Amino acid sequence: MTKLMEWLSGLTVLGVLWATVTFDLLGLDPPEAVLQVSWPLPVFLLVALGCFSLGTVGYRVATFNDCQTAAAELQAQIREAKTDLQRKGLRF
Amino acid sequence: MASGVDQAVGMGLVGFSLLLFIYYTLWVIVLPFVDSDHVIHGYFLPREYSVILPGIAALLLVLFVGTFIALVMWKNRKPKKTQ
Repeated sequence: MTKLMEWLSGLTVLGVLWATVTFDLLGLDPPEAVLQVSWPLPVFLLVALGCFSLGTVGYRVATFNDCQTAAAELQAQIREAKTDLQRKGLRF
Repeated sequence: MASGVDQAVGMGLVGFSLLLFIYYTLWVIVLPFVDSDHVIHGYFLPREYSVILPGIAALLLVLFVGTFIALVMWKNRKPKKTQ
């Protein structure tokens, strides 16, 4: 089974479970609080995923290992290589 | 070490996403189990908005991304060469 089919079948199973609880398809009569939590649940999971992604991006930006000296050294090496190659005839 | 501005922006994003997650979790998961005459209910909009507001936000996001792509493609169009 391809990955796409795996994900789709997983999502379908979860979707059927959610619909069964939210729309009371089996006549189980869940308590009011459970219904109130259940119907926004897909949107809640999406928002939670979005918050997690945003937080991860922010954390990675804050802890990025910036090497100033290495960056300056690399720029100098690039300029050196450019002049060297231009002298040897390569046009940029 | 990331620069000072980078650290501030990064930790700001972390804090913002954490606050948003906590508020939204309280709204969707916790509030239905709290008595309807508790004072905390006054800090949250009716439940319909917990689905409508993220829907509007998603729509705006798609709008911005689409507009950005359209602008970039418009700026990079090349005129046809004439022989």
